[in-house]
Amino acid sequence: MRWLALALLAVASVVAGVTLGPADIGWSESVGGLLGRGDETVVAIVRQLRAPRVLLAFLVGGCLAMTGATLQALVRNPLADPYLLGLSGGAGVGAVLAIALHAGGAWAVPAAAFVGALVAIALVYRLALVVGAGIDPRVLLLAGVVVSAFGGAILGAIFSLSSAAELRNAMMWLLGGFDAASWKVLGIFASYAALPVAYLYYTNRPLDLLSLGEEPAQFLGTDVDRLKRHLFVSASLLTAACVAVSGIIGFVGLVVPHAVRMVIGHTHRTLLPAAFLLGGTLLTVADAVARTAFAPRQLPVGVVTALVGVPVFALLLRRWAK
Amino acid sequence: MVFSSQNKLLYIATAIGVTACSNPEVGGGGVVDDLGRTVVLEAPARRVVSLLPPITELLFAIGAESTVVGRTQWDKYPPSVVDIPIVGDAFDPNVERVVAQRPDLVAMYASSANEQAIQRLADLGIPTVSIRMDSLASVVRGASLLGRLTGTTQRADSLVRIFEAQRDSALNAPRPDLAVRVLILSWDNPPIIIGAKSFLSELVTLAGGDNVFGDVDAPSAPVTIETIVERDPDLVVLFSDDAPAFADRPEWQTVAAVRDRRFVFLQGSEFEYPSFRAFEAVRKLRGLLAKAAR
Repeated sequence: MRWLALALLAVASVVAGVTLGPADIGWSESVGGLLGRGDETVVAIVRQLRAPRVLLAFLVGGCLAMTGATLQALVRNPLADPYLLGLSGGAGVGAVLAIALHAGGAWAVPAAAFVGALVAIALVYRLALVVGAGIDPRVLLLAGVVVSAFGGAILGAIFSLSSAAELRNAMMWLLGGFDAASWKVLGIFASYAALPVAYLYYTNRPLDLLSLGEEPAQFLGTDVDRLKRHLFVSASLLTAACVAVSGIIGFVGLVVPHAVRMVIGHTHRTLLPAAFLLGGTLLTVADAVARTAFAPRQLPVGVVTALVGVPVFALLLRRWAK
Repeated sequence: MVFSSQNKLLYIATAIGVTACSNPEVGGGGVVDDLGRTVVLEAPARRVVSLLPPITELLFAIGAESTVVGRTQWDKYPPSVVDIPIVGDAFDPNVERVVAQRPDLVAMYASSANEQAIQRLADLGIPTVSIRMDSLASVVRGASLLGRLTGTTQRADSLVRIFEAQRDSALNAPRPDLAVRVLILSWDNPPIIIGAKSFLSELVTLAGGDNVFGDVDAPSAPVTIETIVERDPDLVVLFSDDAPAFADRPEWQTVAAVRDRRFVFLQGSEFEYPSFRAFEAVRKLRGLLAKAAR
């Protein structure tokens, strides 16, 4: 029943995303456009802009929520989210450097953000292993925070030394959005994300053990050190791709896993796919609101995820806290 | 259609005229600036620090260049500004470096970002004047304010008269029946467009263009590519000197003007901020639009 509701919500959000938009296109016209019938402009808007954008938003939302759920189990901290481990700072420095240095090419900014995120991941990983052979969650958290702060400081330095207007635009990019969505981007993202998503799902059983604590997991036959390293790398690589295609979208990865735990339970075999569905739904709806609420203007999608998500979360909390 | 747009322009002209005539002047050499503060100087300013390129340019234009003792790192025009010492940035300025120039007046943009600096300078007994340089009307307003404060009213007033004559002839110039529909794009991801409240939108209108986002009541705003496709501009005006990188991205191919590379590139500070060169910019822009629309 709950699964059916989640699935219906997901489908409804995608349908709404494709049929709603700032352009004045009716429901039946949208469906016609999707099938390639009708006015050329309508077909271009529905097929080339809305459809890939909605699907990308759904995938990114799903990946962020799934990553959040994984990291919360990995560091056993309910405040963990995909950006906790410092890669937002790295991605920001990469993107802003590409913009400030006028790096050429249509794909320079996302590529630079991705590389920046990878550098941050490498730094955090190295720092987290300083103490011993295994990843200590506390050290990992700390490493994430310091690398993030370092990235923030570099950003601050670049901002204060460069021309204001251009970097305000770079900030807008960082705030997140799906304006760069196209079938090409969707294809690259989906084929890249498939492997880490599959791996995270594959580890659902050891994740259950890990969230009980490292010692029980060890006793029950899990190679905890290896598992933690693989989880960290997969979650980080997945988040890096999300940042590269859509900037830094907060809230989804933090709150969706908690909401799902309240409704579906703590078992990762069901938690992870449910988080994926709900995260995708939330981000798809948020993007539709961002595009249409103040049309022709557009809101940053990260603003909307929190505006839509917090009341929903509050309702859930009231209902399940009893 | 033609009549209504002419009426609109007449209305704008009247509004500009009213602003110019109603310059609130307080007796005894005092003036009211764009933050509503009264600025009183005992004598015309002799050492002015300008914290905004359009203000620096106005000071040079009205013959007060010898009073300018400090500028921002962004000033480019006229070329002789390079000889003036740099005191830093335009917003939230470095007060220490400003004070080091021993100014008797600091001129800056009317913005809440400068509140703290204004207060600190006031505490040190240094008067400031804040001017909102963001429209053609602000050229008239700024020139007369600065003319009074630096004792160059005569030169300022004659430049204002020439400027107003240029404006009248631009407003009366015959408009084509079908104006070129123009998208002024400031950034591509997220797409940030220039709206009605921008000086650049004024220039485009005077040059015979029609800003497709003339209904956006702000200097600039983020929009979706979908809205741009729907409004289908004839031309895209950009601040660059070359075809932009985003023109190669698949999602932008849905915008016909981008797909067909119908770009107009703006270069030069006369397009960046309002100045006495604005109608030179209008003339250039008219030529660029006509050439690109052909």
